[in-house]
Amino acid sequence: MSADGQMTEATAGAAPNGAAGSFGEELLVVENLKKYFPVTRGIVFQKQIGAVQAVDDVSFTVRQGETLGVVGESGCGKSTMGRCIMRLLEPTAGKVIFDGQDITRLKRSDMRPVRRELMMVFQDPYASLNPRKRVGFIVGEPIEVHNIGTAQQRKRRVQELLEIVGLNPEHYNRFPHEFSGGQRQRIGIARALAVNPKLIVCDEAVSALDVSVQAQILNLLKDLQREFGLTYIFIAHDLNVVRHVSDRVMVMYLGKAVEIATKQQLYTEPKHPYTAALLSAVPIANPELGRARRQIVLEGDVPNPINPPAACRFHTRCPRFATGTCDVDDPELIRRQGSGPNHLTACHFPLEKWPMSEDEVRRAPVPQQTPTPA
Amino acid sequence: MAMLEVKDLHTRFRTDDGVVKAVSGVSFSVEKGETLGIVGESGSGKSVTCLSVMGLVDQRNAELEGSVLLDGQEILNAAPKAMRDVRGTKMSMIFQDPMTSLNPVKSIGWQLEEAVLVHHDVTRKEARKRAIEILEHVKIPRADQRVDDYPHQFSGGMRQRVMIAMALINNPELVIADEPTTALDVTTQAQILNLMLDLQREFHMAIIMITHDLGVVAELAKEVVVMYGGRVVERAAVDSLFTEPQMPYTWGLLGSLPRVDVIQDRLQQISGQPPSLLRPPSGCSFNPRCEFAMDVCRQELPALEEFHAPEHLFRCHLDEETRREIWAAKQAAMAAEVTVG
Repeated sequence: MSADGQMTEATAGAAPNGAAGSFGEELLVVENLKKYFPVTRGIVFQKQIGAVQAVDDVSFTVRQGETLGVVGESGCGKSTMGRCIMRLLEPTAGKVIFDGQDITRLKRSDMRPVRRELMMVFQDPYASLNPRKRVGFIVGEPIEVHNIGTAQQRKRRVQELLEIVGLNPEHYNRFPHEFSGGQRQRIGIARALAVNPKLIVCDEAVSALDVSVQAQILNLLKDLQREFGLTYIFIAHDLNVVRHVSDRVMVMYLGKAVEIATKQQLYTEPKHPYTAALLSAVPIANPELGRARRQIVLEGDVPNPINPPAACRFHTRCPRFATGTCDVDDPELIRRQGSGPNHLTACHFPLEKWPMSEDEVRRAPVPQQTPTPA
Repeated sequence: MAMLEVKDLHTRFRTDDGVVKAVSGVSFSVEKGETLGIVGESGSGKSVTCLSVMGLVDQRNAELEGSVLLDGQEILNAAPKAMRDVRGTKMSMIFQDPMTSLNPVKSIGWQLEEAVLVHHDVTRKEARKRAIEILEHVKIPRADQRVDDYPHQFSGGMRQRVMIAMALINNPELVIADEPTTALDVTTQAQILNLMLDLQREFHMAIIMITHDLGVVAELAKEVVVMYGGRVVERAAVDSLFTEPQMPYTWGLLGSLPRVDVIQDRLQQISGQPPSLLRPPSGCSFNPRCEFAMDVCRQELPALEEFHAPEHLFRCHLDEETRREIWAAKQAAMAAEVTVG
């Protein structure tokens, strides 16, 4: 990581395609985060017979004002990771350092002030709003919980928030069912903004919306980031959406981070075969480009996370699989030969170029002797 | 002759709040062995159109009007018995969610055999042979063993393969796929789409692909129907639709899509919400959200006009010159953004 922290919040937010170095201080540092869910047998005398390794040894940093996109297929652990950062789930091991403070072992009461600065926007705008509460209450609840201002000030703040997210402040007394999906997601965003957080974790925030409404919400999130210098962790399975909102992108597979790079690097010169397969699998809304596209189709399904493949977890489906290396030695997430700064890949045989046809990817690779350390 | 010809189809539902005009005057046709894509947002009437074609709309609280010709035979409002003979053998359907469309307490073999036994006078043993054969066609490994497994023992992608097998088991000539890959991950989606293309080549069936994903349509379909508010607003060959769309809603759809080939700073959003089908806006159903709406748009529904070729139809009151200018400006705006090779 280049130590380029002199840029202010405002300019960092305004840089649309900035590299990782052009943002502010490190706001969130995640070190070796692990979350295992125990698998038990027996009703009275429960015995642990295994563990779902939902997140296994994931490390990354997020800088002030940037957006880190997290992509991966369902079951790769991206949502679990988001919840561990929020401490909605207790991490099994590892550290989450937010704004210089290790929040992994904080007590509930000590955690409360931190929660003001860490907010979450959920996927399903139908399930995440209490149907029996009015919008004013839903949006104002975080302010009330944190005991900020008088009742009147709170009401004014809520109306201001509704306006910020593009809703009519007069809708203060309506119930969630009176709103459409896109409007509900706006309510969820207003609620997340209520106490001026620093970091917002968006967990599939636009997945349930129609494309035209999805564009409205994505634009809104970008505008808010510029205005308030927000930092986002944007978890999604849609690679196009992630590309649109993110500055840097992390790709996860079966609980592991397999590649992390700036948006530009990741989408134009992916190094991990899994990233390449993901990119090549996205249908392109342009018939001409679509026909020219060279697809890498992965065989089979994502393996069971209770009993993940040894060493590199992707080796069972990888077109570059080499016996004796990939199934023996777990590749580290480090900078590999031929990749740019801050471009980390967990693969013994990173791709030499992009785009590549399936045959080129499959070609027996020459093992790298000593990878360049980051 | 077209495999399926839908003419001026209307589907109305009677509800406590009034009549919902889910489909208003939809016409399209699919040729043998070809793929038609139907695109639209939720509530645009795309699924109801196909349920009406399949005869799966509950007639007790719905009214259907118009004409649906399957291989020259009128099937709209046909007797339930006649529909049962057609469904499965001549046309079949693949649903979005394979978990809720499969019976969880019966093995998939049993469910596949049932589809054969309903239409053919064969023994269960013969039906089972056919079930294994079709599972092999959809590339389920160890089909002869997996035939006895239950739906929960399959992954999402595998379950969708079983659904496809079930739709194809009686060799239909038309398959209607309602968002078949929406619930799947991209890599699985790619597997399923490729499988459908392979099977189409092998069995030469016509496919109607309902989706909200313009990417899927661009890859699979030969012709595309864009639906909005229960109506067809544009219909064109796939290349024509993506290179010279003629209707503000289609422009909006194409603009609001985050794309792989272009990095945009802001997406061109369509403001507002999709229309209520209970109280549709007067005139053009898109007018409340259309940035180019004129007075005439609020009063009169534009007819489906031809754009140059008779295969390209659209609904819009704007004149040709204005449409060309607007689309050129929109494309220029997109191209001006940073592009990536």
